[in-house]
Amino acid sequence: MTGLYLALALILLLTICVGMVRVLRGPTATDRMLAAQLFGTTAVAILLLLGQATENTAIWDVALIFALLTAIAAATFVRRRDIDKTTETEDQNDRH
Amino acid sequence: MAAQTNLWSRFTLRLGGCLFLWWVLTGGNTLTSWIIGVPTIALALWVMQSVPQSENQQLSLPGLLRFIPYFLLQSVRGGIDVARRAYSPSLPLNPDVIDFPLSLPPGRPRIFFLNSVSLLPGTLSAELCDTILKVHVLDRDIDPGLNQLQTHVARLFKHPSGGNR
Amino acid sequence: MTVTEIITTMLLLASLPFFLAGTLGLLRFPDLYCRLHALTKADNLGLGLVVLALIFQADNVQQIIRLLLTWLLVLIAGATVAHLIARKARGDGHKHWSRQ
Repeated sequence: MTGLYLALALILLLTICVGMVRVLRGPTATDRMLAAQLFGTTAVAILLLLGQATENTAIWDVALIFALLTAIAAATFVRRRDIDKTTETEDQNDRH
Repeated sequence: MAAQTNLWSRFTLRLGGCLFLWWVLTGGNTLTSWIIGVPTIALALWVMQSVPQSENQQLSLPGLLRFIPYFLLQSVRGGIDVARRAYSPSLPLNPDVIDFPLSLPPGRPRIFFLNSVSLLPGTLSAELCDTILKVHVLDRDIDPGLNQLQTHVARLFKHPSGGNR
Repeated sequence: MTVTEIITTMLLLASLPFFLAGTLGLLRFPDLYCRLHALTKADNLGLGLVVLALIFQADNVQQIIRLLLTWLLVLIAGATVAHLIARKARGDGHKHWSRQ
């Protein structure tokens, strides 16, 4: 069973990597914020699987913290919209 | 007098919740964990007390028991629906933003509704303008069934618009 | 292999298509809002299946509750994050893509 947990965790890590390439391309900061959603679910699944594979459920606590932090990260991100607005329009001007 | 008992029942509920949560998170079998646990719970209760209180809204248990299977089924449908669209070579998307008038009261019922919408098939709550919820839908030709969700949430929070059934 | 191990294996294998769909949607869908749909719903279902799979391997009740609480927290956090991002995108004037 351990092999299955690790294999699935590895595949999920790969999907995060592929997703991150897309997310980092943006073009706006809001597009990049999708990374929070990607990590909020897929990384939690990876951590749960790793916890089960190593029979060390302390890793599950890390998963719990991850889930909490994504919500806080998103809330912080939208609060500083005024600062971002200037950089975002610059980003968009670069693209077009 | 009534307000006093209300306060006490709320406190007992929170204390019970914290004790239960600590027991779950620590695995329950280490007595020494309570050396940290008891002060932590005391601190948590103090923080909860200092946060501004919303009026005490009780959930309806039958409402909850009907909501959970409905929600689980809908989120499975939502996942399958969006996965089908992602895999399909022709990318069957026809997105739009629709206005949905809310009949739920502000506060927890409305926030609960807002969050549930995003987990239902094909809908994403995009913006709340007063009593109109702007919902992004993946397919404008499909009825998103938001009225049904609103009835469920109203029933859950014992709001009259949910009916008594 | 015991019965619970077979169930766990099947649930884990069933979760994979949904995680892949989330990433595929992220790559293929035309705009931010549609990508949010894909990530929020497909990945949450994938995680739900992983949680269910691990519940069948849990040693005690606390582990089952911990797994369910983690999933519940991810559900709430995911819905909140999705709404916050969508609202910010609308506030910034992101137009949603529509088929002409």
